[in-house]
Amino acid sequence: MFKMMLQKLLSKKWMSVCLLTGILLLAATAVSFPMYRSTAFDRMLYDEFREHLSTEGEWPAVNSFIIVSKKDAGGKAISRMEGLMEELCGMLGVTEKETVYYYSLAKADARSLMNRKDVGTLSLSLGFLSGLEEHAGMLAGEMYSEEGIADDGCLEAVISQSCMVSSKLLIGEIIEFSGLKDPEGKPVRARITGVFQEGREKDFYWRRTPEELSQDILVSETVFRKYFTGDRAGGYTITCCYESLFEYEDLEAGQVKRLKETTEWLTGESPYRHTISEPVYAKILDTYTRKQARIDAALFLLQIPVLVLLGAFLFMISGQMYDMERNDISVMKSRGASGGQVFALYLYQNCFLTVLGTLAGVWLGRIFAGGLGSARSFLEFDFQGSLALPGGDVVLSWETILYTAAAMAGCILIMTLPAGKHSRLTIVNLKQKKAQRKHSWWEICCLDLICLAVALYGYYTCTKNQGAVAESVLKGENMDPLQYVSSSLFIVGLGLFALRLQPLIIKAIFALGRRFWGPASYISFMENGKNGRKQQFIMLLLMMAISLGMFHAVAARTILQNALKNADYLAGADYIVKEVWEDNSSQGGKGGDPVEFRYYEPDYEKYDRLESAMACTKVIYDTKAYVDTGGNSRQDVTLMGIHTRQFGEITRMPEGLMEKHYHEYLNELALNPDGILVSADFRDILGYKKGDTITYCNFQGNQARGKILDFVSYWPGYVFSSMELNPDGSVSHISRPLVIAPIGTLSSRWGTVPYEVWISAREDADADEFYRWIKDEQVRPMRYVDRSADLEAVIRDPLLQGTNGILTMGFLVILLLCGVGYLIYWILSIRSREMIFGILRAGGMHKGEIFHILINEQIFCGGFSVAAGILIGKLSCDMFVPILQTAYVAANQILPLQLITRQQDLIRLYGVTGAVLALCLCILFGLVQRLNVAKALKLGEE
Amino acid sequence: MQETQQSRTAIEINHVGRTFPTAGGSFQALKDINARIPEGILTILKGRSGSGKTTLLNIIGALDTPSQGHVLIDGKNIARLTERQKDNLRRKQMGFVFQAVSLIPSLNAWQNVEFSLRMAGIRGSRRERVEECLRMVGLGSRMTHMPAEMSGGEQQRVAIARALAHRPRIILADEPTAELDSAMAAEVTRLFAELVEKEKVTIIMTTHDVGLMDAGGMVIELENGEQK
Repeated sequence: MFKMMLQKLLSKKWMSVCLLTGILLLAATAVSFPMYRSTAFDRMLYDEFREHLSTEGEWPAVNSFIIVSKKDAGGKAISRMEGLMEELCGMLGVTEKETVYYYSLAKADARSLMNRKDVGTLSLSLGFLSGLEEHAGMLAGEMYSEEGIADDGCLEAVISQSCMVSSKLLIGEIIEFSGLKDPEGKPVRARITGVFQEGREKDFYWRRTPEELSQDILVSETVFRKYFTGDRAGGYTITCCYESLFEYEDLEAGQVKRLKETTEWLTGESPYRHTISEPVYAKILDTYTRKQARIDAALFLLQIPVLVLLGAFLFMISGQMYDMERNDISVMKSRGASGGQVFALYLYQNCFLTVLGTLAGVWLGRIFAGGLGSARSFLEFDFQGSLALPGGDVVLSWETILYTAAAMAGCILIMTLPAGKHSRLTIVNLKQKKAQRKHSWWEICCLDLICLAVALYGYYTCTKNQGAVAESVLKGENMDPLQYVSSSLFIVGLGLFALRLQPLIIKAIFALGRRFWGPASYISFMENGKNGRKQQFIMLLLMMAISLGMFHAVAARTILQNALKNADYLAGADYIVKEVWEDNSSQGGKGGDPVEFRYYEPDYEKYDRLESAMACTKVIYDTKAYVDTGGNSRQDVTLMGIHTRQFGEITRMPEGLMEKHYHEYLNELALNPDGILVSADFRDILGYKKGDTITYCNFQGNQARGKILDFVSYWPGYVFSSMELNPDGSVSHISRPLVIAPIGTLSSRWGTVPYEVWISAREDADADEFYRWIKDEQVRPMRYVDRSADLEAVIRDPLLQGTNGILTMGFLVILLLCGVGYLIYWILSIRSREMIFGILRAGGMHKGEIFHILINEQIFCGGFSVAAGILIGKLSCDMFVPILQTAYVAANQILPLQLITRQQDLIRLYGVTGAVLALCLCILFGLVQRLNVAKALKLGEE
Repeated sequence: MQETQQSRTAIEINHVGRTFPTAGGSFQALKDINARIPEGILTILKGRSGSGKTTLLNIIGALDTPSQGHVLIDGKNIARLTERQKDNLRRKQMGFVFQAVSLIPSLNAWQNVEFSLRMAGIRGSRRERVEECLRMVGLGSRMTHMPAEMSGGEQQRVAIARALAHRPRIILADEPTAELDSAMAAEVTRLFAELVEKEKVTIIMTTHDVGLMDAGGMVIELENGEQK
């Protein structure tokens, strides 16, 4: 059987290659998804943790427990907690970074044995901090020794600087705790050997900073355990804190579920729930899971059309193959092969092809996944900064294997199902079949109209709820699948509808020119009328390729460009630095005299030394300003003080957002030093008019008055209204009014107040230079903006990147499929009609006329499909891209959304389609040119 | 070989030979065939299968080129005609009936016959001629049937109707009676004889049916590619 099958495949090698290609692409597309996802999610997880680390400055992956081991309890709680600590990381499925134990005895009275007058009775906690000797640096003196006990029986102890200051202790001083007893029953004495501080490097060990340990006198862990825990724990009340830090860098997406569930158990149901404090990473994981679910759904839904198209391609090619082998099948059947045997032969063949194709497909899938991970924009890849290089660290997970298996099952099913129908064929009903002529099944059950109805329903509901979509994104609700799928349904529906119309159109054209048609045109019209239905599939494929291609191109561009434009707007300038400003408040006046409060302006000259800067300007950006609205009420506003000319040069805004270009508002402000620009809220909500004068104050309460020159609804970097998620899950809209005044006016009234520096970068600026400059100049930014980094973050956002990657991959796969499918269809179609061409040539038809027939057929099939595809594509872009787009709108989307079409993409699409059609014609011409009439007629004899 | 001198020569076959290249060298399908076929007679090309009848017919019909010798139609060497001239010759002056079914599957019987009129560029009054021809072959009642809906014999008769519809000067028929029962075969042969009689058409027809041999005004017999 194997040999027979192999022979069968070899005899139809082009068909076999086509089937293999289809399987390969289907497997690769299906497999690339979980591969990309796992790597992208790993990165997203890392980014989420990293983000917390950089904004909050604390190690996010930590579980903190605290218990108080009471006297008389015998230390059972301690041993239970220590047991938990040993198992905790294993339970959570994470790698332990460090577990810090901090035990301290209840504060006890102590006295210095030095008999110093300035030190009275002390109240100190004796305790230990595990690992202190490795993490602490010594400010003075020495760390306690390994034994922890000096020869004279005194415990060696260290204290923090804050403890030294507050308790006025000295190095070398011995303290006696009368209430604490050593194993021999004598009061515990401790000698201060040194003062510790944090090491030089940032160290996340310091969950409690040395400043916070101002009442603590720390001894070595071994000594503490020997004196106060175990059998002796019953005698003391010990507060035990456990900080279990784990590594988040190597945390993988697959570990999240276990980590999340175990954490929820720990804080919810476990016996330890009262001892643990809600870990910060739980929130991070929540955000992550929400995002992950959204991305999962979005990317999966985006892949469906491509997978369906691939399935359809396989179905078409295998259908063609069955058609070609009809005679063989009926001969086999007539010679006594049972339907089951024929079916088995095909099943066997399809399994063989599928296994072969999938093996290669998994390998190709790795490349696809790499492509997805390095997508920067539509049809644009950057393998340099790639998330996963082809064949690189993309791993084969269980999920991947599952997808592979599903893809295989799908392929076999799609290819084998038609065999069931064909295996029942005998030579008798084959002849009958040839005489039959009927409508396609989809025409009868109105599939086109059903698809259109569902798509339009989706369009209607999604358009109606557009406002609510942004809220549901913020809430992390699942997206309506219709939002993604209705566009594909619309394309399929309209495509089928076009197929329904096509014969009518062709008939109408034929009827119109009945008198003019020569023999060639006559034949092509008649052929189309008779065999047009056979072409429906390839026509649908071509239409879908073009319209889906257009849709993908426009959707990808629109989604990314809108996000990028928004990020560009939000950044305000290329760089913004807000430094920490020192003031004289801590110094206090000499002799108690009140001193006028003032700021020390940081050195502004250093901005001249930032080489990547082209220009910079000072901007007062005060988010705690307010406007006096009469009576006792005030309206919180943001106050911006700008230097009009410099501000206009350094910032930018997209055109057409407001009535006038924002530079015109700046010019107006420049001419009126006492004027202000205010946000449109002042007009729309507060009821002010142009020319009204208002009193506004900065965060210190300094007043100024300004005349409203105009209202603005967009301003570089400014968010006028935002949505926030309330703890109860509802969303509230917050409006943030803005007042813009000339900085000169403000500083002449208020003196120097803290400002930000807005910087425009040179074209060729080196991105790292900015950070080197911050380090070299020892700038202490309270806030900074790096526009290029923000834009990069948008591009690398897993949802956007995955979307871009999938849309691009889908586009390429569609083009490839469409090209291969179209060529194969027509080559086979010509081959099967060689006899007819032979008859026509024998009857004296010129070669030119035969070409004419071919060109006509291409116009009826290809030309019609391309034209319909372009129309459908345009329509579906206009209708459905905005709907798809809303699924990607970030909560901070300020700019109005725009449909973005890159002519270049469409030219590429048309170019490839045109090239496929031209190549197809060339090949067909070649086939006809080589046609041997006598031989072709012989073919008819069989 | 018999020859009638009463009318002018329509087709002149001079030393025609045809060699096909094969894997092991070459195969001589025809060797030195000579004949002068006068206008307006029915010529029978007879011989066993594989004797070269179809090859000779293809050469006469300008579908194939002889390796040696030449065929003159109206005194013109058809091998020297351009591709286009050959096409026009076949289109306007010849009608073909092939051994295998030679109808266009997407056209019904009527359309198939009408198509040869279209090809020949005949305008006006096509309908009457088409119907006349179909009636002539006894298919007056099956004009709208598609080829797939007809039997082999019926298809063959449509092919004959098509071959004669545009009133060609020469009809080349390759085993036109192979698919027909003996009564129908006799009928077709009678039809051909009538055509020769009425319309002065020159018909060359191959057959291996011994019963039909007498119908012809002239017989060329081939055996293993050679004239007997």
